[in-house]
Amino acid sequence: MTASWDQTAGLAKVEFLTRDPYARARALRQAGRKVMGYLCSYTPLEFFTALDLVPHRIMGSVREPVVKADAHLEPIACPYVRSCLDKALRGEFDFLDGVVFPHSCDNVQHLSTIWEYYLKPGFYYFLNVPHMVQASSLDFFSAELETLRRRLSAFAGRPMTDEALAAAVGLHNKSRALLRRLYDLRRQASPPVTGEEVLKIVLATMVLPVSEQIELLEEVLGEVQSRPAAEAEGRPRLMLYGCEIDSPEFVRLIEDAGADVVMDDLCTGTRAFWEEVEETPDPIQGLAVRYLEKLHCPRTYRARTGTHAEDLENRFGYMREYLETFGIRGAVLYVIRYCDTQEFDAPSVRDYLGGLGVPVLHIEDDYTLAGIEGLRTRVQAFVEMIL
Amino acid sequence: MSETAPKKTTAIKSTRAAGQVRGIVKKMYGRANQAAAEGKPIAYCMVASQYEEILKAMDIVPVWTENYAALTAAKQAAEPFITRAEAEGFSNVLCKYAMVGLGFDAVRAETGRVPEGAPDGGMARPTMLLGSSAVCDPRFKWYQALGRYMDTPIYCIDVLYPQSRQFSPDMRNYYVRYQTEQFQGLVDFLERTTGTRMDWDRLGGIMDLADETTRVWWDAYQLRKARPCPMPSQDHFSCMVPAYYLLGEPEALAFYQALYDELKDRVDRGVGIIENERLRLLWGGGLPPWHTLSIFNYFEQQGAVFTIETSYHPPEPVEPLGAGAHPLERLAHRFITRVERAQARADRGCGDARVQQILDLLEDYGNVGMMMHQARSCRATSLGQIHFKNIVQEHVKVPTMFMESDIIDVRDYSEADTRMRVDAFLDAVAAYAGGLS
Repeated sequence: MTASWDQTAGLAKVEFLTRDPYARARALRQAGRKVMGYLCSYTPLEFFTALDLVPHRIMGSVREPVVKADAHLEPIACPYVRSCLDKALRGEFDFLDGVVFPHSCDNVQHLSTIWEYYLKPGFYYFLNVPHMVQASSLDFFSAELETLRRRLSAFAGRPMTDEALAAAVGLHNKSRALLRRLYDLRRQASPPVTGEEVLKIVLATMVLPVSEQIELLEEVLGEVQSRPAAEAEGRPRLMLYGCEIDSPEFVRLIEDAGADVVMDDLCTGTRAFWEEVEETPDPIQGLAVRYLEKLHCPRTYRARTGTHAEDLENRFGYMREYLETFGIRGAVLYVIRYCDTQEFDAPSVRDYLGGLGVPVLHIEDDYTLAGIEGLRTRVQAFVEMIL
Repeated sequence: MSETAPKKTTAIKSTRAAGQVRGIVKKMYGRANQAAAEGKPIAYCMVASQYEEILKAMDIVPVWTENYAALTAAKQAAEPFITRAEAEGFSNVLCKYAMVGLGFDAVRAETGRVPEGAPDGGMARPTMLLGSSAVCDPRFKWYQALGRYMDTPIYCIDVLYPQSRQFSPDMRNYYVRYQTEQFQGLVDFLERTTGTRMDWDRLGGIMDLADETTRVWWDAYQLRKARPCPMPSQDHFSCMVPAYYLLGEPEALAFYQALYDELKDRVDRGVGIIENERLRLLWGGGLPPWHTLSIFNYFEQQGAVFTIETSYHPPEPVEPLGAGAHPLERLAHRFITRVERAQARADRGCGDARVQQILDLLEDYGNVGMMMHQARSCRATSLGQIHFKNIVQEHVKVPTMFMESDIIDVRDYSEADTRMRVDAFLDAVAAYAGGLS
């Protein structure tokens, strides 16, 4: 594995990790590194980096049926969560030395309990993330981060110093900046990189140590930017809104239908990297603000201070920049069934985007893409409508 | 909830206390509607958000929206609200309490009136929405979504449960501090919104009353360990109403004192739920099917009684902090202490606090079977049931039935299928009980 990894670069590495997302983590573990699994955008990856642990985002599989998880987790659970558990029970994550699960939602909360009981990870922590964003919430979250810091340090057998944490913040911010540069290219009339490619790239960064993320992204940017400029074809430019889309198939389906996916608001997209960590004297402070306050996920409650229209602006106003600077003409709202927080927000998101004149295709699906042909028909009709 | 008319059995089934609850519920909604007419502050509220006594101390009239949804289900009046919420674009997999509430307020926003067919005069129009993160995500997302229909001021608090297995004494301080600050934030909001100041002494007195109410309720349920069992689960799902919705009111304490006396009398005289109690069962998880509480009768007709429940179980009494403690800190202390004690019991047993509760209730109440309700639209209480059952089975091979239905939505429910499963389940329970004797 190491040889072939070393012989590839840029987009070839991305393809490598698309085929086998575990390959690099396994190799690093074989070389003596500890690999830490995590879920969701709320896990502070800087902690892993500061202790020289390898972060590995746990993902499901849209093409593999759930077999073993049925014996442990009800069918009304989020199908993405069930898929992750199923893969774990089948031993696919046997290279993980430990896991950190943030309290992102009811589904993840239950998954974490079952995971801990049956898979007995070498390190386990359920990070209690507040749902509210107030000064006291930030204080609590900082204290909770300190507990995780102590326990993770004990597991790693070394202290997590402020200096190491600050350095990790700098590295992750650099990786985030590179990803934003990649996204900037999509603002062009004819983007040099497809939505499918971008999703693969983002997913690849999620299974690499941050130093390798940076190396990969620099290579990818070099390749993509050297592509000859293409004529703009006038294809509709779409934004993809949802939570976990960890397979490029759905994006490919949209682009095959004649549209360009040029922006997203996904857990496996901008939510993971768009916002930086401010480099504060106490690194925990910057991390708490970034991971609690700056992330835009429906699981976090944003206090309403005015009318419904003002509330929508307060909650979804960050998308204005996406819509305006990426030239968005339509949005695909992809909600995984049983993701309660997304399901509650869906009508409001539709209201908000509709109010800005952006047509919305609202899809509620079961994550597996089992009904992909039905989806294709709906997407094609939507693309034709906004052409 | 006592709204479903029970089918007649030969048993001395219902307690007098449970029979009073329908009147209490009716009065509760009537009181809120009267308060609305008088221009008093009215809040939409979520059960078990730990803020009940605060509201009482500030004369906020609560409308318990989940309870109202359950009432519509019991009255077979929920469906029009659910279908309206679906038409508004809300997914049919969402919490059906929320769907009823969203549908109700969508109609009211459109017509300006209480929707036709709404039981008990409908939910009073709120002057504020008080969500929380206690128990599940829909409890703040629902009220947030209500913004589509009303610009009513809203405030949500965090109620963060420590994950008990990893909770350690060094974490206690920041959990208690955060909970206290969350309560303080709510008090600040209420003071701003109503223009009245919190009377802390009054709050302390209300908490004393609430603690005493909880203790009497707890003691009353200890009596259900008797053979024959003096009170069924169907009554429990009514008798929990004063503790959850009237906490801190003298009426609630009087209710549980009367319940205690009634159960004590039944136990002393050997009066049970049914004449020949054959099998004792635990309601081991999930909210009840409010639309079909009569399913309990089917069990009882076959000699099986539900003696106790994990759902809406009385909270364990906790000694209050010393006299000098701030009431809000006392509230937070009580909440966290209950989590700690549950885990301490689990540490001496199976390790998992929720499973330990099941194991304890199986043993202490002499139960030989367990039913769990997998309510399709309630992830908070349905997820984890299979896992809990699996761990229970590692300790005791008690037969378990999963009832598949919903808390509210009756559209996918089959009484015939459920009865067939009950028959098979009770056969298994009888065989298991026979093996024990």
